[in-house]
Amino acid sequence: MSAPAYAACVALVTALGLGFAAWAHPAFLHSSLQNLGLEKAPRAMPGSFYITRIAPLFETRCVSCHGNTRAKGQLRLDSFAAAMRGGKDGTVIVPGDPGASELFHRISLPVSDDKAMPPSGKSPLTADEVTVIRLWIAAGASGEMRTIKGAPKPVLEVRIPESDPAAVQKQRAPLAAAVTQLQARFPGVIIYESRNSADLEVDASLKGAAFGDADLAALMPLKTRITRADFSGTSITDASAPALAAMTALTRLRLARTQVTNKTIGSLASLMTLKSVSLIDTKVSDAALAPLRQRGVLVYGGGNE
Amino acid sequence: MSDPVKEHVLVWDIPTRIFHWTIVVLVALSWFSADQGSMRVHLWSGLTLLALLLFRVLWGLFGSTTARFADFLHPPRKVVAYLRGQEMALYAGHNPAGGWMVAVMIGVLLAQALTGLFSNDGLHFTGPLALWVSDDVSTRVTGLHGTIFNIILVLVWLHVVAVGFYLLVKNHNLVAAMFTGRKHSRHVPAGLNLSFTRLSNALLLLGLTAVIAAWVFFQGVP
Amino acid sequence: MSDLTSDDLLAEYLKVQAQTRRQFVGWGAGGLGALFMNSAMAAPPQPHAVPSALNFARDPATPLSVLPPQFAAKVKRVIYLHMGGSPSQLDLFDYKPVLKRFHGHDCPQSFLAGKRFAFIQGVPKLLGPMFPFHQAGKSGAWISDRLPHLEKQVDDLCIIKSMTTDQFNHAPAQLLVHTGDPRLGHASLGSWITYGLGSENQNLPGFIVLISNGGTTANAGKPLWGSGFLPSVYQGVPCRSASEPVLYLQNSPSVTRPERRQVLDAVEEINRENFKTFGNPETVTRIAQYEMAFRMQLEASDAMDIKKEPAKVLERYGAEPGKTSYANNCLVARRLAERGVRFIQLYHWGWDSHGTPVDEGVNVGLVKRCKETDQPTAALLADLKQRGLLEDTLVIWGGEFGRTPMWENRGGQEMEFIGRDHHPSCFTLFMAGGGIKHGISHGETDEMGYSIVRNPVEVRDLHATMLYLLGFDYRKLNYPYQGLDQKLTGVKPARIVSEILA
Repeated sequence: MSAPAYAACVALVTALGLGFAAWAHPAFLHSSLQNLGLEKAPRAMPGSFYITRIAPLFETRCVSCHGNTRAKGQLRLDSFAAAMRGGKDGTVIVPGDPGASELFHRISLPVSDDKAMPPSGKSPLTADEVTVIRLWIAAGASGEMRTIKGAPKPVLEVRIPESDPAAVQKQRAPLAAAVTQLQARFPGVIIYESRNSADLEVDASLKGAAFGDADLAALMPLKTRITRADFSGTSITDASAPALAAMTALTRLRLARTQVTNKTIGSLASLMTLKSVSLIDTKVSDAALAPLRQRGVLVYGGGNE
Repeated sequence: MSDPVKEHVLVWDIPTRIFHWTIVVLVALSWFSADQGSMRVHLWSGLTLLALLLFRVLWGLFGSTTARFADFLHPPRKVVAYLRGQEMALYAGHNPAGGWMVAVMIGVLLAQALTGLFSNDGLHFTGPLALWVSDDVSTRVTGLHGTIFNIILVLVWLHVVAVGFYLLVKNHNLVAAMFTGRKHSRHVPAGLNLSFTRLSNALLLLGLTAVIAAWVFFQGVP
Repeated sequence: MSDLTSDDLLAEYLKVQAQTRRQFVGWGAGGLGALFMNSAMAAPPQPHAVPSALNFARDPATPLSVLPPQFAAKVKRVIYLHMGGSPSQLDLFDYKPVLKRFHGHDCPQSFLAGKRFAFIQGVPKLLGPMFPFHQAGKSGAWISDRLPHLEKQVDDLCIIKSMTTDQFNHAPAQLLVHTGDPRLGHASLGSWITYGLGSENQNLPGFIVLISNGGTTANAGKPLWGSGFLPSVYQGVPCRSASEPVLYLQNSPSVTRPERRQVLDAVEEINRENFKTFGNPETVTRIAQYEMAFRMQLEASDAMDIKKEPAKVLERYGAEPGKTSYANNCLVARRLAERGVRFIQLYHWGWDSHGTPVDEGVNVGLVKRCKETDQPTAALLADLKQRGLLEDTLVIWGGEFGRTPMWENRGGQEMEFIGRDHHPSCFTLFMAGGGIKHGISHGETDEMGYSIVRNPVEVRDLHATMLYLLGFDYRKLNYPYQGLDQKLTGVKPARIVSEILA
């Protein structure tokens, strides 16, 4: 046999082999074509049902085995195009027909079944998750459709706020000395809102009458950091009004059982972040509270209780 | 020139031949078992491959003439010349192109066996050394294990095409030679002086690598 | 060790000399462990300064000092209204018209196969809701006519109809609800929270327990408010709303307060001497506890004294000063909340409605319990809301498990009174307060009220949610014990019930 003839034979056999591979594993063909830019990969639209509901579900429950690093059964579910391509045994999603879709079949098998997905040892999908996938496939497995009627509401997982001790320390630094000093002067009265925050909460209610206008004035270095303040039952009076008005970060203020009057209330108008204020057992009138109420501030007590 | 024994010269020793065909069987078995999810079989096949590959490396240093790397690893200039047909010398063992093919193949297979040790399938199977590394590393190595497999497929195909070329175009049956160990005297240089290492030495080396593989296995036994 | 002075060595020598065998044995296994730690770490054991993800180290003299939460909290305190014995969800909140239709029919086999009940045997009859239900409030929540007062607060409630537990006997189920584990030895909710946050009011315990319906007691006993493996200073302190609020707290008539002060000073001196010798931080804690008790003599009496409330408030709660009642306890709970007590635990016993004696009938005992608790619970919620306290308080109401949709047939017999057996698969609990949605129902049981069909909430999920509202990741509120970073939620994965968060 001549060398060119042999080369031709090899080319033919190689082509046949690749052809067979493409026929047996269409996902492989499409993935290659799409990677080479010879075929347009289907894409899901931002905000589509696929992106908001299906993709996160695949991501958390399937992609650790059916993804970039480990495509088991050559199935990848980490992109819309890959999911629609299917795995080595062909497509797993038949638009409009959940019953014929291998993916749906596998996730709805009983846990004990050998072919059930996720496989034994991993927790099965919840009823709602299965329903969401069924409805999506039944509605055409589209990457564009935004809502699907009857789909169970998405389950939100709570995110615990991240903590960054260095950043918190930096935020606290400018007032750290003043806070420490005042905490020593008023034990148990001033505390940081949380370990994650430089904001402060002041609760002088347990000091009772021993806490007066002069003490409140002593807190002034911290005025912009105080988010919640409770002066209930203390001996503060209208003399503290300017100090209170200077606490511009206040969201919650408690002034129950104090001598404050309408005058103090008037100066609270400048506290734009105030959400609730307690004036139980004070001489404050309804009329004085009207502007606060109008702003949507929750007012406890005051007026004609 | 009618004596068939005289016409054929022994070039491949028994260990090299057995190694070659066992590798063929084990690579196929590893492919098949991984495909079927029979990870137990895959593990044993892989460990055997590891032992054999390590043996082959040692055999390339201490074995018979034609098995030695020194015999078949030629400088690149010579390889290029050979591929261009400018080199007309005869080689008892591997020719300059084939020699590098063998070395690359052993290297890649070894890489595949080693990555396998650190892999996991995310479910019920972890390679015997997977616990030596972090989960993250193991997962990445598993990805590598898959990539190397594709390289192996390409190398195997190249290998088969090259052997076919010798058989059909150059009328030189390398496959039969790998079975019988003998090449026709017209394919080997005249005045050949090959030395063959004793079989017992091969068994000794194989024993050593088997112990290594067994040790690896027991690393994965809790 | 090289910078030890001869004085240090002498002190160490004296300390070792002073350690008698009796003390060694007295420390028990914990002491042995501590000794090991001692030699291993060359530092005295520090129960209040423990390594963990979050630092809860405190000066041993002020073990209840306030610590900020991990992240911004929605609530600062909890009032837990535990209905001991477990009320029937099917007769109060979880309305099942289909079950009503099948009232008196044999219970389907599918309910019984493979199940184990506390008392039910053979094939019991189905038992429909015993009282008429109607929808109430803007939220339209179903509620039975046994809770006419609570009905008015229904829009403040977040009713969880899909609580589930794996314990079907009272004691372990109560332990699970209160300590996160059905076995003894774990720290209770209030202990965890005072450990994590401390107490705002240093003159009162951070964790106060109020018990009503005196005849019966907790099946699981005091461990329900015990501190378990946490330092003992975090355990709950039972207080009474009648006569002396805390037993053994008041001075006897012949002892004046200055005299008491003198005694305490003397005791403190002895304790300090003891601490110098042995270096056990629990000694400092003890000194602190004596001091708190001295301060409590004044503060606790004032906090518990509901006579100081105006008549109209007493009337709203149905409280009668001088008695021990759930109503009085609810009013005290509000007073304690105002005074910065971190965890206020109420127990009202007697909800175990098997139908054996008359007081355990769904048609008798349950009705009585409702009468005792309905008005005070509603009054407490309304009062907290009106005072702005509900914004940063979490109120939880519930039992330890549910009750069966079947009529209990103890010993295969028909019972004299109508009763329901224990049912761990599902029960109803409600919450109210800061950080959670109000006027909603979460979760759903099937048409027979037998099992959960939507959004099951495990007890540990409830705990994780509660800790989240208090500003903690349940994975981070740890205490190292027995080689494990102990958590309220245990080792199984818990879930913060995001659906009910506001």
